[in-house]
Amino acid sequence: MIDVFTAAGFTDVTITARFECFEGTTKQSTARKYRVVGANLSAVRAAV
Amino acid sequence: MAVMCPVDFDKARLRAEVQTMYARVAAAPDGEFHFHRGPAYAAARLGYDDQELAALPLEVTSSFAGVANPHAIRRIPTGAVVVDIGCGAGTDLLLAARQVGPTGRAIGVDMTDAMRARATDGAARCGLTNVEVRAGDATRLPVDDHSVDVVISNGVLNLVPEKERAVAEIARVLKPGGRAQIGDIVIGEVLSEDCLRDIDLWTG
Repeated sequence: MIDVFTAAGFTDVTITARFECFEGTTKQSTARKYRVVGANLSAVRAAV
Repeated sequence: MAVMCPVDFDKARLRAEVQTMYARVAAAPDGEFHFHRGPAYAAARLGYDDQELAALPLEVTSSFAGVANPHAIRRIPTGAVVVDIGCGAGTDLLLAARQVGPTGRAIGVDMTDAMRARATDGAARCGLTNVEVRAGDATRLPVDDHSVDVVISNGVLNLVPEKERAVAEIARVLKPGGRAQIGDIVIGEVLSEDCLRDIDLWTG
């Protein structure tokens, strides 16, 4: 997602936090296998 | 990393599957799903303020199915115009409406009828007159160009195969200097072609 936002012209694109949102669900093992986590992404639309 | 779908991926089927899945969540949030829902999950795993959640109708928060916490990135300023892409039953939308106050506006966009109905009803029950809920999806936002201060979203962009188009829409509606505060999933491993074509993985 960082790449997609950056390519769209956003600046200050940053992952600010990660969350183990799939722990305790039926997708827990798949999430662990592929290292899938929730994340907060912050980005600023560039001033033109 | 962002997940890009194969060029021949059945996007129409995915859209229908997502709508069916989240209509089920709206109708029966306590049902069997492969993702967490509800206010206890939001507070315990994602760091939401449990008192702010408790102040919202349970009909709204019980259907919460976010994967992160866009509100934790930065407080949305008073008076701001905020758009919540894929607002669902309205948990993040109504929290944003409270933050921006009566001089601001909170616009929710969702493609699932049942979720929009819950969000609209929830706003009315909270007495929030600065909330508007519109039909639409992430790739075609029903929002004017350069009219928005903050775009939020939670667990939605991962469901959209056309991510570049969705992010271009966010750029279109934001004012210069406006902020995107996005909760989504990130994947640490390269997925196989079979995984990329597995519609059950896309809807989860």
